[in-house]
Amino acid sequence: MEILTATIAWLTTAARWQGPDGIPTRMLEHLEIAIPSVLAAALVALPVGAWIGHTGRYAAVAINVANLGRAIPSYAVLAIILPISLRFSPDLGLSVIPTFTAMWLLAIPPILIGTFAGIRAVDRDLVEAARGLGLTEVQILSEVELPLALPVVAGGLRTAAVQVIATATLGAVVAYGGLGRYIIDGIARNEDDRLMAGVVLVAGMAITAELAFALLQRALVPRGLRRVAVHAEPT
Amino acid sequence: MLADQPLLDLGWIGAHAGDIALRTLQHLGLGAMALAVGFAVAFALAMMAAGRPRLLAPLITGAGVVYTIPSLALFAALVPFTGLSLLTAEIPLVLYTQLVLIRGISAGFAAAPPEVLEAADGLGYTRRQRFLAVELPIAIPLIVAAVRLASVSTIGLVMVVTLIGNNFGGLGLYIKEGIASFFPTKVYVGAALSVSLALASDFALARLERRLAPWAESHRDVQPGASAALAGLDPIGA
Amino acid sequence: MSAVATGTPTRAAAGITLEHVTRRYGAGPGGRIAVDDLSLEIPAGQVCVLVGPSGCGKTTTLKMINRLIAPTSGRVLIDGVDAASRHLVDLRRSIGYVIQHVGLFPHLTVAENVATVPRLLGWSPARQRERTDELLALVGLDPAVDRDRYPARLSGGERQRVGVARALAADPPVLLMDEPFGAVDPIVRARLQDEFLRLQEGLARTIVFVTHDIDEAIKVGDCIAVLGVGGRLAQFGSPAEILAAPASDFVARFVGADRGLKRLSLRLVGDLDLRAASEVRPLPPMAPMLDRSTSLKDALSMLLDAGVQAGAVVDDAGAVTGLVTIDMIAASLRRSAEGAPDAG
Repeated sequence: MEILTATIAWLTTAARWQGPDGIPTRMLEHLEIAIPSVLAAALVALPVGAWIGHTGRYAAVAINVANLGRAIPSYAVLAIILPISLRFSPDLGLSVIPTFTAMWLLAIPPILIGTFAGIRAVDRDLVEAARGLGLTEVQILSEVELPLALPVVAGGLRTAAVQVIATATLGAVVAYGGLGRYIIDGIARNEDDRLMAGVVLVAGMAITAELAFALLQRALVPRGLRRVAVHAEPT
Repeated sequence: MLADQPLLDLGWIGAHAGDIALRTLQHLGLGAMALAVGFAVAFALAMMAAGRPRLLAPLITGAGVVYTIPSLALFAALVPFTGLSLLTAEIPLVLYTQLVLIRGISAGFAAAPPEVLEAADGLGYTRRQRFLAVELPIAIPLIVAAVRLASVSTIGLVMVVTLIGNNFGGLGLYIKEGIASFFPTKVYVGAALSVSLALASDFALARLERRLAPWAESHRDVQPGASAALAGLDPIGA
Repeated sequence: MSAVATGTPTRAAAGITLEHVTRRYGAGPGGRIAVDDLSLEIPAGQVCVLVGPSGCGKTTTLKMINRLIAPTSGRVLIDGVDAASRHLVDLRRSIGYVIQHVGLFPHLTVAENVATVPRLLGWSPARQRERTDELLALVGLDPAVDRDRYPARLSGGERQRVGVARALAADPPVLLMDEPFGAVDPIVRARLQDEFLRLQEGLARTIVFVTHDIDEAIKVGDCIAVLGVGGRLAQFGSPAEILAAPASDFVARFVGADRGLKRLSLRLVGDLDLRAASEVRPLPPMAPMLDRSTSLKDALSMLLDAGVQAGAVVDDAGAVTGLVTIDMIAASLRRSAEGAPDAG
């Protein structure tokens, strides 16, 4: 396994951990695009998902639009936005705007569907009972539906975060930094050690995010339900 | 400069219609092959794991781990081993179909309500008859739903294959060339046709489901359970 | 239901015998006994109801007849043949089976559901179709309208009817029904029970019927087996016997404090030794008119409602043929309580 030793050697060289093309810088760039885009997606998808989940209205429309979004791969989104964004800002338009937009669009469907499905899965009798007790619609959502739906909602966020971390790799195609740089450069320069190092780093970061969210998700199960297995997790 | 070019050059499209058709077919071929192989593998695995949660859980976990590997990374990781052969393109594409397909097919096999199975046994179906005449037809809507999701994401992933090498053809090549040569028309032609292919295959499969399972009430409804089960399952980096 | 004639049995009904049947779950002291040494003789052509509280093993007993559950020990004989010696699939195809949630196949039409067993038996399509239409009419559905519908579009009552038609399709000598009317509302249930009784009048199948509802048991059963918790037989007899002389406190509690009234529902005005019409002229001004098929329970209720001691019994033409009094109804109840079974 020549390639394995070469990759380990590449990763353990001190010079790789310094400077503008060093691993810490690339990791930071990766997170700088991933975290804001997931948060921005949540800002849109959480309220919309909660609302359609609670009312059941326009659910088919919203879910279908979200699913339609999946038909457009992130790579295509990057490419579609690039020529336009360049017209607005020759500076940010080349890298940050296309990458951010693509990641933001990528993160919306899982969060939206997770929130919707989590709230829909709450027993309708429970909602009826809450209404009968005199809770307002907002209270029903905040006191009953959201706490019970939280693990599933977190599952949607988990999917979104892991996908965005993994896909942000493509930012390198449009000259954004991040860990994808190593892969794209590795292919371009025919350096397999650099390429594999990039693969390992991105996969490592995605799996770390996956595990972190899995722990968070477990912690969010309401206490009364802990002993019951949660089957509804969407990832 | 990319920004100086017109966004759409219709003359170029007209002049390259034959080439566009060829790359569209290449794209479709790469995706269809992955989907067919992926379906056969997932169906066999789901059959093996039917009624055996101890086997199904690690299968799904394994397929889930594959999912967290970015597509660009997985394609790239194979290059040192399989070079720029068809295998480099197809192995990741097939692997990425597995999570959605195994889940959907297994959920389908488990979809027959217990009273229906009890009635089938009570009426004197053999195990084999029960599987072929009851469990399999009832599984169709969930299986087709999974194939729809897998087809959409696979067609998207075929775009990424181009980043590894030019020899696979496909619509992703237009995007790569368009960015490299600052020619937006190529970018838009590639993106628009890829999205159209994905939507067309989704639509065609939906029609197929209506034909195969005319009894299902769910064609127009949103099924929160099914959506949740299959939610957010785009392969990474599509 | 005029269509009953078309359902006339082509095969004789079969008797069912349970010999010391036991079903245990788990071995040793941690095990649970679902059915405990149950012996029953169910005569051919009768409706035998297994009734008892939940956990009494009534469904387990039923499923041991078509071998969905195997007895731990003991034998089930159908027409004298040990069910365990029969080919499993053949056995099940010769026994109709109706369950509470019906279990209609959602991907098949009503007609395809009904024709399930004939299809498995390899009947010709023409014969399947003919039989399906006949059965749909028999259970009160319209073949022309309903045959091509899918189960998801049916009401609860319609599903039950299709379930019964499916169970009857190959004309099985034995029919097993597990809480068949348990999932529908009381009004539909009462109607389905009435239809079931009329159907059985023409069919004369051997039917084992499971319910937890003692009123249903009394209404549909020719004989009733009351099972207690732990799967022990508490009492086996006709509805009248069980109401008149409960074998234990458990049976008495299970049939309820109003068993006297329930017994009245089993007897008809026509069963009484009516007082001659000549004695009753002139009739009391408020006297209700009853016909001979009115149950004694309903007759008593009508007399109490009207606030009179006696009512007139009329024939189909409306002519008064006799007189029934509250005292006569009470006496009928007393006589049967003294040990003379008042039915059968």
